[in-house]
Amino acid sequence: MFKILVVEDDRDLCRTVASFLNGNGYEAVGCLGANEAYDAMYKDTFDLIISDIMMPEVDGYEFAKTVRALDENIPILFMTARDDFASKQRGYRIGIDDYMVKPIDLDELFLRIGALLRRAKIASSHKIEIGALVLDMDERTASRGGEEIPLTAREFNILYKLLSYPGKTFTRMQLMDEFWDAETNTAPRAVDVYMTKLRGKFEGAEEFEIKTVHGLGYKAVIK
Amino acid sequence: MTTMTKKKRHPAWSYFIAFFVLMSFVITSSMLLFLNYFAEASGVVFTRENLFAAALATFGNAIFLALICTGVDVLRRRIMVDRPVRAVVEAARRLMRGDFSARISPAASKGASDGFDEIINCFNTMASELSGVETLRSDFIANVSHELKTPLSVIQNYGRMLAAPSVTEEERLEYAGAITEQSRRLADLITNILKLNRLENQRIYPDAKKYDLGEQLASCLLGFEDVWEGKGIEIAADIDDGVLVESDSELLSLVWNNLFSNAFKFTEPGGRVSVSLKAEGEDAVVKVADTGIGIPAEVGEHIFEKFYQGDTSHRTQGNGLGLALVKRVADIVGGEISVESEVGRGSTFTVKIRMAADEKALGDT
Repeated sequence: MFKILVVEDDRDLCRTVASFLNGNGYEAVGCLGANEAYDAMYKDTFDLIISDIMMPEVDGYEFAKTVRALDENIPILFMTARDDFASKQRGYRIGIDDYMVKPIDLDELFLRIGALLRRAKIASSHKIEIGALVLDMDERTASRGGEEIPLTAREFNILYKLLSYPGKTFTRMQLMDEFWDAETNTAPRAVDVYMTKLRGKFEGAEEFEIKTVHGLGYKAVIK
Repeated sequence: MTTMTKKKRHPAWSYFIAFFVLMSFVITSSMLLFLNYFAEASGVVFTRENLFAAALATFGNAIFLALICTGVDVLRRRIMVDRPVRAVVEAARRLMRGDFSARISPAASKGASDGFDEIINCFNTMASELSGVETLRSDFIANVSHELKTPLSVIQNYGRMLAAPSVTEEERLEYAGAITEQSRRLADLITNILKLNRLENQRIYPDAKKYDLGEQLASCLLGFEDVWEGKGIEIAADIDDGVLVESDSELLSLVWNNLFSNAFKFTEPGGRVSVSLKAEGEDAVVKVADTGIGIPAEVGEHIFEKFYQGDTSHRTQGNGLGLALVKRVADIVGGEISVESEVGRGSTFTVKIRMAADEKALGDT
């Protein structure tokens, strides 16, 4: 069972979030401040941290920075009333993984925690496994039941990205920015060519399907 | 406040003295000039006796002419200056007392010296703007308290009903759902009020950077993927590549998110939301169209005002601040926003933003 640490100075909010998570298949521990959280982390290991920003004594930024210095993989989610871009930017620069503005929707929090944990697993194992399909980041290979599916490096990278975030649509430009050199003057439509190739190679695949979203972008949907 | 020091007016006799001195000077100079030439040419020598009567008559003449001039001048002042000034001062005093209906009748400038009609026009424009702001302000406060109190009282009531011992399981779920729904509404409203307040009260220096508008539209639109899939709304995106604008992307994302959220809100399942981006001349033109309920013309005029909601039956879904935010951002970044709509057919919002100088830099192969 995944263990989640909730750091929030408002007693009621801390309690409701922790008990909601406890009632939905996680084991959550609530702390009212960063120092209390350090103690809890000393005694126990956690899989994910949810933290407020504005807290007395040590604030969320300071807390996240300390945690990140000790563990570079643990997902950190900020849950805060600050909705300005500067605060978000500061958080992401420290190395947090997700950001939710209060008042938070508990159902959405649940979905995001699921996605964060799945990505953390992918990040630590460098592997995506869907049914019999395995994508290995270290080897840059895709195989089904031990049988390799030949992919070029760029095809592999795009597919790995899409399958790391199933159901999330990426725009052509987002994919271009990540997988093409900044200098290349390729039109964003070049992404279309790669999608066609990937679809051809995974035609009739039982695990997933690449969907075009209304001329906006592409997403992988797990069947 | 109203103790405005009245400027001391010159009495009529002071004008008379001024005109008299002027007349005497002009007549004396002309007479001397004339008599000199006349004496030289004719050799006539004037004596004190034969000049005295003439001098007396001329003196009388100067007094008479000065009187006429004073009369004419006083009359002229009264018509051309005093009357319009009094009208302006009167209206300004009413405005100062808080009577925003004060206007100057254009008739006050009839026959007045140049510039008065312009002053009166400006004054009237100012007064109507002020009264608009004032009505908005008082409406705003009334609306805010209404919008805040309604969900609060609903929450309070359901909380109390939940405490009753006889609540069935079904009722319990219904009440809890209503409480969640209302608090969500309250939260959205407060978020929007705070955003609008930040936009209105802070001096905003837009953080302008050059970026790809199409990309921003696409990613904002994708934020609503769950909504259109859940509601079964068809999406038509026609976004040109490589349209760059130089603007504040965070502010503009408020515009797109609000327009998209409205479009999805007012479109029934099975309807269609289309988003297009085209470069037209020097402008980037974004159109967000829906096949929703549409906006009647008389509502369209007010739609960018705070808390104005066209359809009261949809009040529960929004808070009437979204479009005010959109308009405010458009003003800040120097964009234009307009709406075309037909009741029952849907609405199209059009936003025009100046494109960045070298819009061809991106997207071309």
